[in-house]
Amino acid sequence: MKITTLEQIIKNKSSKTEFAIVTNLQNGESQVFEPGKKLTGEFENFNKQVENFFNSKKNGIIENSEIFVETYVRPIKVIIIGAVHIAQYLVDFAKSLNFEILIIDPRGYFATSQRFPDLKIINKWPDEAFKEIETNKTTALIALTHDPKIDDPALQYALNKKFYYVGALGSKKTHENRCQRLKEAGFTDEQINSIYGPIGIKLGGKSAPEIALSIIAQLVSETYNK
Amino acid sequence: MRNSFDEKILDEAYDWIKTNQKVVLATVIQTWGSSPRQVGSRMIVNEKGDFSGSVSGGCVETAVVRESIDLIKENKLCKKIEFKVSNESAWEVGLACGGEIAVYLEQVN
Repeated sequence: MKITTLEQIIKNKSSKTEFAIVTNLQNGESQVFEPGKKLTGEFENFNKQVENFFNSKKNGIIENSEIFVETYVRPIKVIIIGAVHIAQYLVDFAKSLNFEILIIDPRGYFATSQRFPDLKIINKWPDEAFKEIETNKTTALIALTHDPKIDDPALQYALNKKFYYVGALGSKKTHENRCQRLKEAGFTDEQINSIYGPIGIKLGGKSAPEIALSIIAQLVSETYNK
Repeated sequence: MRNSFDEKILDEAYDWIKTNQKVVLATVIQTWGSSPRQVGSRMIVNEKGDFSGSVSGGCVETAVVRESIDLIKENKLCKKIEFKVSNESAWEVGLACGGEIAVYLEQVN
């Protein structure tokens, strides 16, 4: 690999532009592929196959060739409602996984950069905050405040936008009440049952890092199931 | 999980190069059977044999380091190596898991 190719890869990574590295295994030549841009020179004839790899987010060797393709796709966006203690551990766990975390909390004392260095925190009510965030079916929501004023609007937004994972912290009783409120707000049983509540897999732990671990384990598992 | 913008290994490679180290990228390009790391997994090696990242569960990294140092010494651009099942009774390099992997070595130049 040429150093200029490596520099372009680093640039694409930092600007979060999705791309693929295309390498000729025979001579070590490589080029960076970006959607909409055509590969040139010796890779010219492989545009179609590289695009297929890119679209299916796969790595591998193109059949009957010596061309290796490695795709770089954006991490999954995880929106956390509540800049609480558990969220601090979730951020730590997510660092080594393929998740990009955003936190929404309208409460100024919680949403401080001192508590969450290097992280995007939106210090607004969910309805306002979601106007600033691009979301789709591959977005996840973790509601941690167990305060209906803050959690409910976010849960409603996530259900309407069909997030692939929606989880809410709280006891069974808290969750029953939450389901009742969502029902009254017009959500179907199917939508309500899709919420993971109480959130997380059963680990038995009660401390903040243990709960965070049980949540992140469920999130990873559901990410592979989707 | 899949390669992502969070994967830091290439950034690390670039940092090494900026401090005048010679760097070989070693990438898993093919796997057969049960292999510990998926296609696209990567480690980097410098001329002294320092390495970061992984291409297996620790089974073949030593051999990859040795081959990478040779690549730098011989000033070759690239090389493909295949690793197969190891014989459990011998201290040889191979994959105890019964899988096979192909690793591609390339110098950054």
